[in-house]
Amino acid sequence: MIEITNVSYSYSNISALNNISLSISKGESVTLMGPNGSGKSTLLKLINGIITPDSGSYRFDGEEITKKKLRDSKFSKLFHQKIGFVFQNSQTQLFCPEVYDEIAFGPRQMGVSESEIDKRVNDCLDLLNIQALKYRQPYHLSEGEKRKVAIACVLSLNPEVLVLDEPLNGLDPRTQRWLVEFLINFNKGGKTLVTSTHNLEFLQEISNRAVLFDENHHIAADMEMNRILEDIDLLKKVNLIDEYYHKHVGSKHKHFHMHNY
Amino acid sequence: MTEKDIPQWLLENENYIPKSDKDTFINKSILSLLSLLSHIQRQSRHKTDLFGINAAFSVIFTILFIILLSVSRSMVFVITANIYLLLVLCLLKAEDIITILKTSFGVAVFTFIILLPTALYGNFYSITMITPKVFASVTAVNILSRSTRWNSITGALKTFFIPDIFILVLDITIMYITMLGEFSLNMLYALKLRSVGRNKNKRNSLSGIAGTMFIKSKEMAEETYAAMECRGFTGDYRIYRKFKFSFADAIYIIVNAVIIFCFIYFGGYLRK
Amino acid sequence: MHIPDNYLSPSTCAVMGAAMIPVWVMAVKKVKENVPKERIPLLGVGAAFSFLLMMFNVPIPGGTTAHAVGAALLAILLGPWPACISVTIALLIQALLFGDGGILAFGANCFNMAFVAPFVGYFIYKFIKERVKSGKGEYIGIIAGSYIGINMAALCAAIEFGIQPLLFKNAAGLPLYSPYPLSVSVPAMMVSHLAIAGVVEVIFTVAIYAFIKRVSPGMIYEGAKQKIKPIYAAIVALIILSPLGLLAAGTAWGEWGADEIKNVISGGKSLGFIPEGMKNGFNFNALFPDYAIKGVPDIVGYILSALAGAAILIIIFKIVSALKKGKPAKIQA
Repeated sequence: MIEITNVSYSYSNISALNNISLSISKGESVTLMGPNGSGKSTLLKLINGIITPDSGSYRFDGEEITKKKLRDSKFSKLFHQKIGFVFQNSQTQLFCPEVYDEIAFGPRQMGVSESEIDKRVNDCLDLLNIQALKYRQPYHLSEGEKRKVAIACVLSLNPEVLVLDEPLNGLDPRTQRWLVEFLINFNKGGKTLVTSTHNLEFLQEISNRAVLFDENHHIAADMEMNRILEDIDLLKKVNLIDEYYHKHVGSKHKHFHMHNY
Repeated sequence: MTEKDIPQWLLENENYIPKSDKDTFINKSILSLLSLLSHIQRQSRHKTDLFGINAAFSVIFTILFIILLSVSRSMVFVITANIYLLLVLCLLKAEDIITILKTSFGVAVFTFIILLPTALYGNFYSITMITPKVFASVTAVNILSRSTRWNSITGALKTFFIPDIFILVLDITIMYITMLGEFSLNMLYALKLRSVGRNKNKRNSLSGIAGTMFIKSKEMAEETYAAMECRGFTGDYRIYRKFKFSFADAIYIIVNAVIIFCFIYFGGYLRK
Repeated sequence: MHIPDNYLSPSTCAVMGAAMIPVWVMAVKKVKENVPKERIPLLGVGAAFSFLLMMFNVPIPGGTTAHAVGAALLAILLGPWPACISVTIALLIQALLFGDGGILAFGANCFNMAFVAPFVGYFIYKFIKERVKSGKGEYIGIIAGSYIGINMAALCAAIEFGIQPLLFKNAAGLPLYSPYPLSVSVPAMMVSHLAIAGVVEVIFTVAIYAFIKRVSPGMIYEGAKQKIKPIYAAIVALIILSPLGLLAAGTAWGEWGADEIKNVISGGKSLGFIPEGMKNGFNFNALFPDYAIKGVPDIVGYILSALAGAAILIIIFKIVSALKKGKPAKIQA
């Protein structure tokens, strides 16, 4: 579904992506890992068509994505319907006067009928449990609420791929847990999931494949999540963990909850 | 790192006695920003428009009302208009009444003072006609703005054939005013906290704040645009506003018809 | 400089509004053509900026306030047409959301602050920048552009105010709208804007521009090179200088003695109303002219008073109970 081949990109002479190749199939859940500034966000922007590569190619669903193609309204709309992007900064994503409008914005641009939009918006509000926020101004919501609204307004497009940039940042524990469960269920429903993070806590639950970036904007590793998390030397080398990191191996611990998936 | 790495002065107490400094400008700016932000926030709490009247009607009739007031040469009409507004005010919540009246009285008193010189010269017409007209116009607009969701007002503008791009920028602007307002508020607080002594460079700091604001918002604007594109925006801003004619609309139209009649009647236009 | 309602006659407002419509149409067209889609949210930023700048104002005699607008700054940063739209929107929000007034006068206010200020500011900036080839040329252009821009706008506002008593009088010869003639409005507006608001505008414009240039120069608008022929410069100079002539005429009017005023009445000049009022003295008719009370039946008066009384009582009751609710909380705290 997503084919990235030998892609390089730089922001006014500062390299952000260095000969990156990556392939993601439908239904997978992949996490991009790496320290800040390693290129994760840039790659996510590329996947969403916000930037196009300086060299190399990006194919989505078999079609090559280029600036020229994206200038065509129809192509652009279709492409953006299939792949939804939740930005790192929830605030910049929310620009409508009310939450209702925010969630309705995507389908409205798509030309969906207003009655269908009403249904979708209410379904999204229910799914994310934010019915109470329906008429609020997005700017005044808490970080967690904003994140939920941002996710809702991407979901209402019914995309096949969901891309999230550092989704767990700045959320309180309960909301983090809620989001992790949501992403797991979303992926189980057959949708493709691409996330990025530098936080090692929840990775194993969300996805089973990790792509590790290093500080030189290369891909250092691309393998099963478990294997990467065990390779402590590698994690240290790319500056994801410090010299004091360790896992408590062998100690007994209890689960205080049941996984209901 | 050990305690030895931390410089000595950080480990001791500071014995600082501040001199007084004029930072009333900062305080004033902080206050006006705070009231601006709370105004916008209050606006967003409405769930429905006042009495369920369609915003398109309330906008059109408020403008019509102000036009009639402005044209009218009949004191009786001006008085009637004010009484009508008082009746409408009765129906609002106390806190809204207080804020609306504060603005209207403020502006009316200001107008009265401005016109005083002409009265002293023997022209009483201006001061007795314009002051109540101003009071009524300001009250009418404030009732509109405090009882209607901003959303609905901009939607009503669309019925006036205002191009989509204006409405788009309008919606974005409100958000930016809030955002920039809060951002500059925070910076003013920071400036105030850092103004530990006499600060002759306040003006520079203020323009630094303003400049930072502008750049930051430019970056945000780019991200906002990217976000819009990712949700399918390709240049046409499609907005949809519900238009349902209700009983409240009918009553509102009738009331306004009566007002128009009063205008004609008191203005003497019916008499030959 | 923000003109409130009821100071300009509806016909003046209509004329100014009509004058703005082609400007807006052109602005929308130009923005759609020339501004890349990614920069459209910047118009909102500009509007928010201008709005916040206009919040800080100082009252001046004549019925309005003096404040910086940021129009020239926006024109220099974004281009004149986008600046026009941004300031228009800032004014629209002020009028509708904050209800200070300026709904009918919207057209006039936009003409002054969203058209005259940014365009004059921009073209002066460009003109000087292209002729003075040094780093300083740019800054001289900014200073001159922003200062002259805002003052031209203030002058237009002053003229709009000042011609009201000339053109719109009632049967008794009293002005229906703003009663202050050009001889009052022009000096009042110009002195406060030349001395205070203009200076503030320049300082802010220069400082903010310098900051942005240093930190993020890429965002500044690069307009096409304007080939401005010298004759246009002469015309512009004339337009700028002519108000000085008006000012001089204004002061000349102020110097007329009482005898000369009588001769002025028949010409229908602006000073005509003063003697009328003085002639009639404190007559009830002069005090409350044109009430058209004669034709209105008494019962109407009774009904109106009853309604007014009831409304006022309800309002007072509501306010008092709201304030009372607030009090116990205060005592506890």
